[in-house]
Amino acid sequence: MSAAQLQAAGAAPPAPAASAQPVPSRLVRARDVLASEWTKLRSLRSNRWTLAVAALVTLVLTAVVAQAFAASPAGGKNAAVIDRLTTSFLAYAEYLVLPVTVLSVLVFTSEYGSGLIRTTFTAVPRRRAVLAAKAAVTGAAALVVGEILAFACFFLTQAILSGRHGGLSLADPSALRAVLAAGFVLAACALVGVGAGAVIRHTAGAIAAAMTVVILLAVLCLALPAPWNLRLGRLTLPFAAYAEVTTHPPAGLLSPWLSLLVLIAWPAAALLAAAVVLTRRDV
Amino acid sequence: MTPTILVALVSAAAIAFDVFCLVDLRRARVRHLPKWGWVLVICVSSPWGGLANLIFGRDGTGPPAPAPPLPAMPDAPDAPSGPGAPRAPRRRPAGPMLIEVDRLTKRFGPVIAVDDLSFTVRPGTVTGFLGPNGAGKTTTLRVLLGLEAPTSGTALVGGRRYQEFVRPLHQVGSLLDATALPAGRAAWFHLLALAQSNGIGERRVREVLELTGLESVAARRTGEFSLGMKQRLGIAAALLADPPVLLLDEPVNGLDPEGIRWIRLLLRAMAAEGRTIVVSSHLMSEMAQTADHLVVIGRGRLLADTSTAEFVSGAGQDVLVQSPGAAELAGLLAARGAAVSQEDGGLAVTGMAAAAIGDLAATHGIAVHQLITRHASLEEAYLDLTGTSTEYRAPSPAPGGPGTPGTPGTPGTPGTPVGTAVR
Repeated sequence: MSAAQLQAAGAAPPAPAASAQPVPSRLVRARDVLASEWTKLRSLRSNRWTLAVAALVTLVLTAVVAQAFAASPAGGKNAAVIDRLTTSFLAYAEYLVLPVTVLSVLVFTSEYGSGLIRTTFTAVPRRRAVLAAKAAVTGAAALVVGEILAFACFFLTQAILSGRHGGLSLADPSALRAVLAAGFVLAACALVGVGAGAVIRHTAGAIAAAMTVVILLAVLCLALPAPWNLRLGRLTLPFAAYAEVTTHPPAGLLSPWLSLLVLIAWPAAALLAAAVVLTRRDV
Repeated sequence: MTPTILVALVSAAAIAFDVFCLVDLRRARVRHLPKWGWVLVICVSSPWGGLANLIFGRDGTGPPAPAPPLPAMPDAPDAPSGPGAPRAPRRRPAGPMLIEVDRLTKRFGPVIAVDDLSFTVRPGTVTGFLGPNGAGKTTTLRVLLGLEAPTSGTALVGGRRYQEFVRPLHQVGSLLDATALPAGRAAWFHLLALAQSNGIGERRVREVLELTGLESVAARRTGEFSLGMKQRLGIAAALLADPPVLLLDEPVNGLDPEGIRWIRLLLRAMAAEGRTIVVSSHLMSEMAQTADHLVVIGRGRLLADTSTAEFVSGAGQDVLVQSPGAAELAGLLAARGAAVSQEDGGLAVTGMAAAAIGDLAATHGIAVHQLITRHASLEEAYLDLTGTSTEYRAPSPAPGGPGTPGTPGTPGTPGTPVGTAVR
């Protein structure tokens, strides 16, 4: 960082003939592009408001779900699938994950839609650097927001449950893992969104593609005949996420560690496709 | 009806609307819904989507003004009018840079957008890049900027491919489409993000905002800008790093006369500093006043690459004669081989100089009231040139060109759009 600042200071004096400028190091260039993308992300009021409202609604609905769960007889019909841990993340999985995925799709598609992407690629001709910066900034923001809300949802739910069934604490087995993983799921879905946006370029199509990966594939797998529904289903994002946040994983699901690989593989695939396609296409 | 199932059902229904709402939300159109439209949006969409719409769909005050108020600059439209002296850019350019387009061909499927095009643009001049709609100007500029890969040939700036520049804004400033802006982002942040990507500081962002007279609206979202303001913002972006090369696609579109004059003076001042400047425009009269050199293309091919003066003089001239004895004079002129045609209030004579016509009239005792030598305007010269190119190309199948059958598919026949643009 200090090296970077030195570089920047070197570029600041008033009369640097452009060609005489020292070629900035890779680190400096990466920092520049990251700073640029971070400015873009934070300067859209719509992003801030959408996130804030989504977070608020997630918390409210988490409380509602927890209240409903607390009111139901302990060990009811759904107890096998929805346990005290999973309950914490039901609202999170929809009201935070889906909006954040859509916002991430817009990171690229809004630039393609307005034509701004040409300006972006004119300023930074290395298109993969732009992809990497957008992914890093969006993913990091989603991770931070995700972790904060995952913890909030967990504590809120367990506080409400403590009256009736007895709440969990972070010290309980798999609780900490579940909360950390829930935050990671948000980042994974955001990166799927970024990749889908870069590949498809049109908002509607890219949202459809991202939603397919984020929910629809899992729903489709459920419709398959018996052994295959889980065998294929466990490779989808929602099942992998579920495997991370349940205390009693049903037989047939992948282990939490393998599920983590699934959670990494989908965004990796999306970003890889974007990296391949971006450099081959005309803008 | 366990509560969990209920919650799941409700959320499932909400998801569809959420997605819809978010998509819509990002389009500025949502902001122009009538009052009842708002009610509809709020009722129909999920709670948070509706709330979000309500809150930030309205015109806000924008983010806190990031730029400290700059003294002594009046409001945006007047700012650059300060007696036509655009402040000369502060730094020296990085040394002269040539733009070299060599045998450039760009093909989109069966359509040839740019066809074996070669030209060189030298520093120190304003070069006008002319051509009718669909002639391939924008494609050429996009290839130059590394946005599109050429099918064959090269387009180099300063001897290098654009993609090789590490911080290209320091070498080439460009404006392709002034309306390509992030509608929801304040002008300040738009410029700041661009500047940061090339290691340019905030101070310089303030400078270009001041230079283009936009500092008072820097905190406003670009979606609220008029076309003229967007053009200024685009030029501000092009000038961010004070580059030795400027590529501007239709920069005067949508500007008021004041703004056009400002750009003209700015470009001239920058060319005088030894920069390489390419300006495309369909306003021929504007080019006549701004450009020293012209590169004219039609259907992706080079039609002319000359100085503006040569281009006009090569287009020919005639003499307008007004005389009470017009009929008699016309006969005498025709007898001496000049081509004469009637015009309202006079004769248009080609093939004989004004002096000779005057002498002829004097020897025959015919009074002459006016005798005017008229040079063809740049517009006429241009129309002649592009019109001819169309005529040439239509009947004659270009030898050996595999793409010739594709020519009917070329968008926009050169002749017509120019006519409408000029009128």
